[in-house]
Amino acid sequence: MNAYVFLLSLIVFLPALGALVIACLPNRNAKLLRSVALVTTAVTFIASLGVFLCPASDAYFDVSTGTMQSSFALAWIPSFDIFYSMGVDGISMPLVLLTTLVSFLAMAASWSINKYVKAYCILFLILEMAMLGVFMTLDFFVFFIFWEVMLLPMYFLIGVWGGPRREYAAIKFFIYTLIGGVLMLVAILMLYFASDLRKVADVSDLYGKKADAAVVWADLHIPPSVTAKLQNDPTNGGFPLHSFNLLALGAMGQHTEVFSADLQWWAFLLLFVGFLIKVPAVPFHTWLPDAHVEAPTPISMILAGVLLKMGGYGIIRICYPICPHGGYDLMYLVCLIGVISMVYGAFAALAQTDFKRMVAYSSVSHMGYVVLGLGVWSATAGTLYNPDYWIMGVKGAMFQMIAHGISSAGMFFMVGVIYERVHHRNLDEFGGLFGKMPVYTALSIGIFFAALGLPGLCGFIGEVFVVLSVWNFDTIIAVISAAVVILTASYILWAIQRVYLGAEYKGPHGGEIRPSTLRENMIAGTLFVLAILLGIFPQTFVLRYMDKTIDRQVKGLGAWTRTVKEPQLAQPILVPPKSDKAEVSRDEARFEGRVSMVKPATASRGDP
Amino acid sequence: MDTSLLPILLGVAVLLPLASFFTLLMIGRWLPQSWSGYIATTAIVTAGLLSFWSLSIWLFNHAPEAGSHQTAEHVASGQMPSVHARLVAQHDQPDGPAPATIPGQEPSPEVASHSPEAASHSPEAASQSPEAEHTSAEHGGKKHAYTDDYYLLGQFGRLRLTISYYIDSLTLVMFCVVSIIASCIHFYSMGYMHEEEGVFTDPEVTMKDGSLLKRPGRYWVFFMYLSLFCFSMLGLLLAGNVAMVFVFWELVGICSYFLIGFYVERKSASNAANKAFIVNRIGDFGMIIGLMALWTGLGTLAFGDVDASGNGTIEKAEQGIFTQVRSEESGYCLATPIGMVRQSARGEVGKWARQHPEAAVNGDTAELDKRLRQLQSERISDGKTPYGYWLLIIAGVGIFCGCVGKSAQFPLHVWLPDAMEGPTPVSALVHSATMVAAGVYLVGRFYPVFTPEVLFVIAIIGVFTLFMAATIAITATDIKRVLAYSTISQLGYMMMALGLGGWLAGMLHLVTHAFFKSLLLMCSGSVIHAVHTNEMPEMGGLRKKMPYTAYTMLVGCLAISGVCLPFLIGFSGYYSKDMILEQAFSFRGANAGWLGSLFFVTATGGAAITAFYMFRLWFMTFAGSPRNEHRYSHAYESPKTIYVPLVILAVFATAVAWHIPFVSVSLQGLLEQARPTGTAATVTSSMLGMTWPNEHIAHLDSQWWTIKFPVTMLATGTALGGILLAAVLYGFGVVNPDDVRRRFNLIYRFLINKWWFDELYDVLFVKPLHQISHVVSRIDQRWIDGLIDGLAWSVRWFARTWERVVDQGLVDGVVNVVGRWTYSIGASLRVVQTGSLRQYVMFLAIALIAIFLIVSFFWSPTLAF
Repeated sequence: MNAYVFLLSLIVFLPALGALVIACLPNRNAKLLRSVALVTTAVTFIASLGVFLCPASDAYFDVSTGTMQSSFALAWIPSFDIFYSMGVDGISMPLVLLTTLVSFLAMAASWSINKYVKAYCILFLILEMAMLGVFMTLDFFVFFIFWEVMLLPMYFLIGVWGGPRREYAAIKFFIYTLIGGVLMLVAILMLYFASDLRKVADVSDLYGKKADAAVVWADLHIPPSVTAKLQNDPTNGGFPLHSFNLLALGAMGQHTEVFSADLQWWAFLLLFVGFLIKVPAVPFHTWLPDAHVEAPTPISMILAGVLLKMGGYGIIRICYPICPHGGYDLMYLVCLIGVISMVYGAFAALAQTDFKRMVAYSSVSHMGYVVLGLGVWSATAGTLYNPDYWIMGVKGAMFQMIAHGISSAGMFFMVGVIYERVHHRNLDEFGGLFGKMPVYTALSIGIFFAALGLPGLCGFIGEVFVVLSVWNFDTIIAVISAAVVILTASYILWAIQRVYLGAEYKGPHGGEIRPSTLRENMIAGTLFVLAILLGIFPQTFVLRYMDKTIDRQVKGLGAWTRTVKEPQLAQPILVPPKSDKAEVSRDEARFEGRVSMVKPATASRGDP
Repeated sequence: MDTSLLPILLGVAVLLPLASFFTLLMIGRWLPQSWSGYIATTAIVTAGLLSFWSLSIWLFNHAPEAGSHQTAEHVASGQMPSVHARLVAQHDQPDGPAPATIPGQEPSPEVASHSPEAASHSPEAASQSPEAEHTSAEHGGKKHAYTDDYYLLGQFGRLRLTISYYIDSLTLVMFCVVSIIASCIHFYSMGYMHEEEGVFTDPEVTMKDGSLLKRPGRYWVFFMYLSLFCFSMLGLLLAGNVAMVFVFWELVGICSYFLIGFYVERKSASNAANKAFIVNRIGDFGMIIGLMALWTGLGTLAFGDVDASGNGTIEKAEQGIFTQVRSEESGYCLATPIGMVRQSARGEVGKWARQHPEAAVNGDTAELDKRLRQLQSERISDGKTPYGYWLLIIAGVGIFCGCVGKSAQFPLHVWLPDAMEGPTPVSALVHSATMVAAGVYLVGRFYPVFTPEVLFVIAIIGVFTLFMAATIAITATDIKRVLAYSTISQLGYMMMALGLGGWLAGMLHLVTHAFFKSLLLMCSGSVIHAVHTNEMPEMGGLRKKMPYTAYTMLVGCLAISGVCLPFLIGFSGYYSKDMILEQAFSFRGANAGWLGSLFFVTATGGAAITAFYMFRLWFMTFAGSPRNEHRYSHAYESPKTIYVPLVILAVFATAVAWHIPFVSVSLQGLLEQARPTGTAATVTSSMLGMTWPNEHIAHLDSQWWTIKFPVTMLATGTALGGILLAAVLYGFGVVNPDDVRRRFNLIYRFLINKWWFDELYDVLFVKPLHQISHVVSRIDQRWIDGLIDGLAWSVRWFARTWERVVDQGLVDGVVNVVGRWTYSIGASLRVVQTGSLRQYVMFLAIALIAIFLIVSFFWSPTLAF
């Protein structure tokens, strides 16, 4: 237990520690400041690798279990049931690694930042801390705090170090995300005040071993003090025992009736919109192109590589497990938003003339796959409650998040490299870089192809998993989602042609074009190699870690559909079969009997 | 000589070019230029040797048995491999299980009908004659394909996506064909690309200052791409599931993109590369839909049965696509798999599952399946399309869409002629022999899944394409474009053959075409290398200057025209093309009406056109007198590295389809071994009311006079006619081609503009797409951002107004008013502050009296207590 507290807190707060150190350093030596920041991110990255992937570590990630691992809970504000509680599972662990990696690379890409270096480094590291906190915390309240803490450094990083319209972009980003946060806060409070741990305890194995217990109490990682309270007095003096614990809230949503279907519907909607703004999905996406265009290159890398993933993470971690009723009732909305984002983003990307804006819209399109994959709730009666295709969609979405983290960070970096040289991003004024910057061009084309979804590179796996899983959910959405491959190819190939191919460079500052430096090649090369490895061995490098967790969650929701949702839905819809059929099979006879038995109201309502 | 070596050998053969690619990618820039050629060539030649090794292992274990009663004539014509022989033997028995459909007659009732038991399982529309059972009996107990997983890509509950292999004789034949041609082309490229070794001056790119572009040579880049292509192509052939096919499908596509756009400085090249990739993606879009239908309906994408659990038996969940659509119990007839039926009958399934939730998850679905079967037979007797049948059609058409893109069939053929922007060795390897043929290969591989309706679509697309492309080839003057259209047309032949039920014919033509078309393109490359132009009107008389090129190309022309000594011997094209025509003729016999005849008539006419444009090309290039003296005088025979591969390929183009006496192995025999189980059968479609005759019927001894003889005579006649016409117009100058052109001006303009497809697509698709994208972008900027900015503005306006009206006006106003009142009251009260004690005492007295009065007025005694 103590080891977990130390190791997980270490990962989250190492960047904060680095920020503290930098705060004490003198202002003038920019190189030293940058180096300390870089070392901090590097150490954080290595620490995250070591903690989760080194077999000697106490928190070594166990791929054979789907439950939360390395988890702990310390009392923070116990009177309001707020605990400092963390843990990782197959959903969060890969994202934590992605965060530390992209932060490290983005810090390495920050070498060209010369303005207020000290403040930049401090804000950057605080941002990294907040992102890691969001992915690892298990307490909804602490989650919200980290979520909002992330906002401020980002606001300043765009607003101070950004391009000409940076204030506009920063305030737009801030207000959009703040509105999402407010919606989330409303949902958090709704859920908190409705929550009741006693009900979960009733269906769990807390009060003695039950073979058919729906919930394993230990899996919820409830703090021992709370557990003891319940064991001493299961009724808690007749008062509900509230909780912010995400896992316990999930158990309440799926296995008890403390959250009514209506409450879940509203909570799902509020949370979902909050997360969609972060994803971002159409129609909540317009902050993204502006933020990206104005943000400095490393911040764009962080924004696309990590920040957007929080939306997807929130949907899979919070929306679906806690509010399955909402998820089920709104499944078409979720999928439609996903597919509309895919198409809309791709079309918008096709029309852009600003290189960075085009890449930003490609992010909208690619993150649409994530929303779609998470939402293909096909484990219904019509498929014999088969959750396999939904599992595929969710795995595709998760893989897509990782893959997009790599490819989009790479793309923004590549745009930044050329922007630093020629100081413009007009797609029509490039050309001929193939001859002048051969290594840069090769790496760029490789990374752009990863985004295009070329097999053998990371983008393909996520896209194809998601798209293949959709048909079982809805054929029309599936067809539309498949068509996006054409648009993606169009805008990426067209951009490559205009920027890298051709005989001559057409824009200003042609004399400043020089081959990419070693540092630039290392950053891009790392991302490209990862894109290849993930594309060829997706199971080995990514999916292996997610398998059990996603299987567990989706199968749980599939079982919930079968045992809770469908019986509720089935009753009012049942209509007696036509009696004029000559032969009524045994099945149908029973069917009829059940109808008249269960729902006499239907018949009477049907009477004229 | 163990067959367990096969996956290893072929796997290594696939990976060798990849290793070469990575070597060149990492260090190619610093290697001496010529080394990169050697590295790539060594890799592909070794891969070729491994392929031949594998083939010999295969032959050692599965030698095609020589038929006992093969006549000398059959041997000579090379068309009677063992499987035919045995089937023939069974057909010839008077009391055979089912009489074969005789061309020209109505299909026998036995063929059209089906047992009620089968009806529940297999939809009526795809009923087949029991003849399929022969094939099953034949393959029974004999493993004719090896398939297993290499590694796992992802696992979703019971679903698995893997990298796997599927090896049968078709795989091996294709491996050998691809590696032979690729090896030849690697050698050829070492000569052809030598200009790229030093500083390269691009004659087609003029810089802003008017000079020609000079750049460092990209010899190593070229070989790097070639290696990547070889890897992708071989991987595509080895693929054991459709997902893996799709992976390599895209990879060959991207190699094609790189190679077409090899001259990145040329705008036309990068445009052509983009066009090729995007048009192919349109086909892939269809293919993904097919994949989705299969994946959802069958729960697997593997071709064969893979024992994933490793327990030595194939469980239901481990069955591949082929077993699921043609199960043993249905006699290898195409039957809608239960997964597709369930998907299609989702309403019924849902009803049942809500009643039996426990049984549904436990997989205890016998009751459900029984009910579905009953419903299915009700639907069939009602004349409705059976459950799941449309899904099977969607899957088939979807997969075929991918093939349409890759094999440049109408309507996605427009990219291939433009693809000739790439260096000529690329055109020969990628865009004529291998990659574009991959579409045909996939149709052949996927054959068991195609319903008759899908076959009909394939045949229609094929026949239209073969005619359309052939007509365009007549007027083209760019030597490579003529060959490009010729490729499209020949691929159309293959598609049509497959669509008419001629599996062997299509596959055989795929192989023979690969040889003669790559030969033709390489010859054209040799010519271009010599005269530095693609335009045939600037050539002429080159025969004398470049004899090797001229006569190897003549071999190619003869092969593509299918010239032969009837029934005795001919160039390779003769065997495959005649087989296609025979199947088309057989189809015509089985289906009365114009639609039945359309295929045969068009294909025969197309054969004449083919012979015409090929010899037009040959005569314009090599015969007559030079039309451009300058170019002629600078022309010379290409170096050995270029013409030796031509000679090698010419040998293959001549003899690859021969059946050599006393050798039991023939190309046809090998291919026939790979024929998908259950596809040698007569099939009828009630939806279309047509019959697909068993391919073997066309080759029956009893049908020799009714099919083989007339078709061969007709085909030879038309080919010779075409050659003669070309000779008259272009060889001997008897008729001036310009007069003909003027006479048929309208048709000429139609053809020279390539049927206006590019313009049409531009108006129909490209422009609207860009317009939509601009509209979307404007929605973002005007509407969404406008709304957001408007909201922000209104909030600020509201805040300002609130500040002015409420804060400053109301709140401040009230406060000010109160303040003013207070002030004025204070000011008015100031007058009483006199400082006079007497006055104060008086006020005090008045106040006391007043309080007393008020208190006494309100006072009530009850309050006191």
